[in-house]
Amino acid sequence: MIDAHELSKRYGRRPAVEGLSFTVAPGQICALLGPNGAGKTSTMRMLVGLSAPDAGSARILGEPVCLGAAVLRRVGVLIDGPAFVPHLTGTANLRLLWSATRRAWPPPALDDALDLAGLGAAIDRKVKGYSMGMRQRLVLAQALMRAPDVLILDEPANGLDPAEVRALRDHLATAAGQRAAVLVSSHQLAEVQQLATHVVVMHHGRLVTAGPLADLLRDAGAFRVEVDDTAAALAVLRGMPGVTSVAAPDPAAGGEVVVTAPDVQSSDLVQALVTAGVGVTSARRATRSLEDAFLAMTQATTGGRDDRAAH
Amino acid sequence: MLRIELTTQLLRVRTLVALACLAAVPVLAGLATAPDAGRRNGTQGGLFGAATYSALNHTMASLAFTAPLLLPIVVAMLAAAVGSADRDWGTLRYLYVAPVGRGRLLAGKLAAVAVTTAAAVLSVLVAGLLSGVAVFGWHPLRIIDAADPGTGDAIGRVLAASGYTLLCMLSIAAIAFALGLLLPRGAEALGAAVAFVVAASILNAQPALHSVAVILPVHYWQDWTPLFDPQGTARLAAGAMAQVATIAVATAVSGLVLIRRDPAA
Repeated sequence: MIDAHELSKRYGRRPAVEGLSFTVAPGQICALLGPNGAGKTSTMRMLVGLSAPDAGSARILGEPVCLGAAVLRRVGVLIDGPAFVPHLTGTANLRLLWSATRRAWPPPALDDALDLAGLGAAIDRKVKGYSMGMRQRLVLAQALMRAPDVLILDEPANGLDPAEVRALRDHLATAAGQRAAVLVSSHQLAEVQQLATHVVVMHHGRLVTAGPLADLLRDAGAFRVEVDDTAAALAVLRGMPGVTSVAAPDPAAGGEVVVTAPDVQSSDLVQALVTAGVGVTSARRATRSLEDAFLAMTQATTGGRDDRAAH
Repeated sequence: MLRIELTTQLLRVRTLVALACLAAVPVLAGLATAPDAGRRNGTQGGLFGAATYSALNHTMASLAFTAPLLLPIVVAMLAAAVGSADRDWGTLRYLYVAPVGRGRLLAGKLAAVAVTTAAAVLSVLVAGLLSGVAVFGWHPLRIIDAADPGTGDAIGRVLAASGYTLLCMLSIAAIAFALGLLLPRGAEALGAAVAFVVAASILNAQPALHSVAVILPVHYWQDWTPLFDPQGTARLAAGAMAQVATIAVATAVSGLVLIRRDPAA
């Protein structure tokens, strides 16, 4: 489990992270999201002991984290991009980082990690000849080869092609299925939406929201209702108690209305429409994309901050 | 950690080339002076005049030739790389999260500096000995204008000279290593270390600046050469103390830098 408690970090006079708290439980894949400069990497550095928090604490598997803490042996880390000794082969680099932990080669999950890396014969070539994608896959192999109980991965899909991203997604899902706690930061929101079970959204170093991804994507109290007469449906729903808004997103296409009615059950909406003679094909709770949710939250936060700054 | 540092530094092509360059000096000097094998090397006196008498003479002359500048430059290059390379490559953060603590990291790096410095000194000595045997033959150590020392005495002088030079090289290695940790790039650390050696050598050559020169380790680097003069004695204690003090200060600075530096930087 990963536990950040009231983490704060300043660089000079600039606050990078302020009072950030969240937890990632075993079996969860948590995406740490935020615009550039939100404090994601600073947070990850504190979580792996590379940076000491000015206030608050970071714990992994119940143990406090500091530079070189023993608990890091159970953590797979990708932070600030891949980094290797360029004149050594991929295998030699993996050996080097593994032997630094004073453990006998090979690591427990080496084969699976190398399968994911998919470097083939290139694993025995010098890293200085690797492409960006190959380096990224090698650093992922480095993080995964130790069969960690916790994974902390900063932009793990950088430089990967779609097939590699899918393989990574499957690998992380398997790890989470085996009760690993996984924290990933990413800008690829569509990818995160397919991968994460939970999200932590940061902006300007502060927590915006944290919780299950499904809750974030649910548009509170909104339903999409497919009908055979859009105009009649709009008229019926607008007159219904508890409905705060009704719209036909694409009148030209016809057939669908979006109703916002926080305190009304979908069955009541359907009953009202059917009673009024409007045919209903389907009614389902409306969801939004992670991108929509993310932009709505971060832009709202920016607006609030700017307003305060203006005053 | 020592094995990691040696894997990443000592086995680099750049390192091997540098060591080969050091080894090439005695070989080329041996070839150049081969026509004088068995007799005095031209009109020169001291170590260089006797270089052509035997393998041991040639070895000590090679050490005296390389020790003022070439050997310390190579040693500084290797030590600065040990201090800075993993930061240049970005692998330092992955060592910390492996995890490796600061104390173990520093101990491993210091041991690697000592091993690479010894390798550099040995490159000169071994190449000198092998090329000397090949070109001049294995004969007793000769000292111009003095009786030949016995075998035990000769070995004692050679070991004293080699050990003292190694200690001197460890002092510049410690300085370069500290600079490697302190400065943002390895190239800057190497430049600063070489500039220090050159500037200290220039200062040392100015009699008017003697009071400044005596506090610099470079001032004592050639103190071993009187071991091969007719009187056969050298005052090495002051020089050894200066080197040890330099090593202690540079090591302390290295530890402070490593503790205070942002590990993610």
